[in-house]
Amino acid sequence: MDVLLMDFFHNTGYYLADYRNIIMIIAGMVFIYLGIAKDYEPLLLVPIGFGILMGNVPVFRGLGLSIYEDNSVLHYLYQGVILGIYPPLIFMGIGAMTDFSTMLARPVLMLLGAAAQMGIFITFLGALALGFLSNEAAAIGIIGGADGPTAIFLTAKLAPHLIGPIAVAAYSYMALVPVIQPPIMKLLTSRKERLIRMEEPRIVSKKEKIIFPIIAFLLCCFLAPAALPLLGMLFLGNLLKEAVVTERLAVAARNSIIDTVTILLGLTVGASTQADVFLNYDSILIFVLGAVSFGIATASGLIFAKIMNLFLKNKINPLLGAAGVSAVPDSARVVQIVGQKEDPTNFLLMHAMAPNVSGVIGSAIGAGILWSFIK
Amino acid sequence: MYGFEAINANNGWEISFLGICIVFTGLVLLSLAISQLHKILDLWENRDSYIQLLKDRFNKKNIPNEETAPDIIVTDSTRESARQFNILIKNMNEKYFPLPKLIKTAKSMGLMRPHFYLNQMLQIKLIIPDGSGFYYWEKNNHKKIMSKE
Repeated sequence: MDVLLMDFFHNTGYYLADYRNIIMIIAGMVFIYLGIAKDYEPLLLVPIGFGILMGNVPVFRGLGLSIYEDNSVLHYLYQGVILGIYPPLIFMGIGAMTDFSTMLARPVLMLLGAAAQMGIFITFLGALALGFLSNEAAAIGIIGGADGPTAIFLTAKLAPHLIGPIAVAAYSYMALVPVIQPPIMKLLTSRKERLIRMEEPRIVSKKEKIIFPIIAFLLCCFLAPAALPLLGMLFLGNLLKEAVVTERLAVAARNSIIDTVTILLGLTVGASTQADVFLNYDSILIFVLGAVSFGIATASGLIFAKIMNLFLKNKINPLLGAAGVSAVPDSARVVQIVGQKEDPTNFLLMHAMAPNVSGVIGSAIGAGILWSFIK
Repeated sequence: MYGFEAINANNGWEISFLGICIVFTGLVLLSLAISQLHKILDLWENRDSYIQLLKDRFNKKNIPNEETAPDIIVTDSTRESARQFNILIKNMNEKYFPLPKLIKTAKSMGLMRPHFYLNQMLQIKLIIPDGSGFYYWEKNNHKKIMSKE
């Protein structure tokens, strides 16, 4: 009886837990708190936070419970991450939700989405300088793309052992966009610049919206074929949305499919952050590099917008450059908030969506390029 | 390996530079394509009216040629100055030219009374305005005038 009781006790989490599990459980709770109380990306942070709790309940190895054990349910669900299945499905949902009208009305704003991708490549250099291998550095660099599914997709292909820290860093910073970006935006722009009003965009026809995903897919994927899984699904989703006749599929893509995949992705990514795998020096470096990459991406977009203003007759509000960071639609919302603090009658959200969605395309191309260069 | 040594060893600079260039190329190409998309669609949707417009322009261009066959009396001196202006304009090597430039060239070539003869060329519709401030030499009228010699 005593032996049985002792065996049982030795298999409980209370006995197996160490301080690292406690740290991670607190981190998971912080994620859930930020998601629910602060409304920072709740659809992502809540499943990830709960996944962190699930991954950090200490379990007896051999029972098939841990995400890293071959016969566990979590391990099977995690295959969607490891094999790069979830990110393209999420991209299809994003495509089915996204309205590219403002980008089509003013294509020059797409350049801001390209400029913000400098964060990816500068962080890549930083990661190399800190001693990471080239495949790891590329996966870390993509955090600067501020696009969770893209970051997970590339990491799964290049450095699967870093999925946990990179995904958590990417989603944490995406959730913290309203905290990270405003100081940089204020630092790099004058009040006069922040007050610039944008021209009303022209009305975009339905035909343009239908043709766009096909042209964009062909142009981008012929240039960077490695971006095909992500961009293909993104533009398929958008075509389903714009074609009208496929409304049922578009509804499925932007509701049930993306919601299901988001839950599975968030949960398994969270569960992959087991303390013994996650809490190490590399993870700390990845978090630092992630923060730097978000800062660089924001600054690159802002500075590029100011450079563009040197040549444009109708000046653009340089705050839009910050929306090139492809955290959709958070960075566009931040632009709106910062712009309205200076002038409450200035509505920038609609204009900011153009660099924002082009940033999604840019970061997917960036991921494709890194994959093809490093692989 | 750390620092610049690690970056150099992994071709970091090259990958980063090329990466940024390719991202920019992709999005610039896309922005160029979509900036023209609505124009192409407009052209396609209104193709009938554009074709009609082109036909009208073509006909307009031809009708005056028929109508403007010079009826006024053309003297030998007018023909001679027409011949000289024809050579001048050929040497200018410009299909459409401004009148001040033509007069300047005529003066520099020693043509007598260039303003007077230029006025004649305009009257007999050998030199015709193109509607945007430039003029062109009407070869068909020139042939007709010369054939009456």
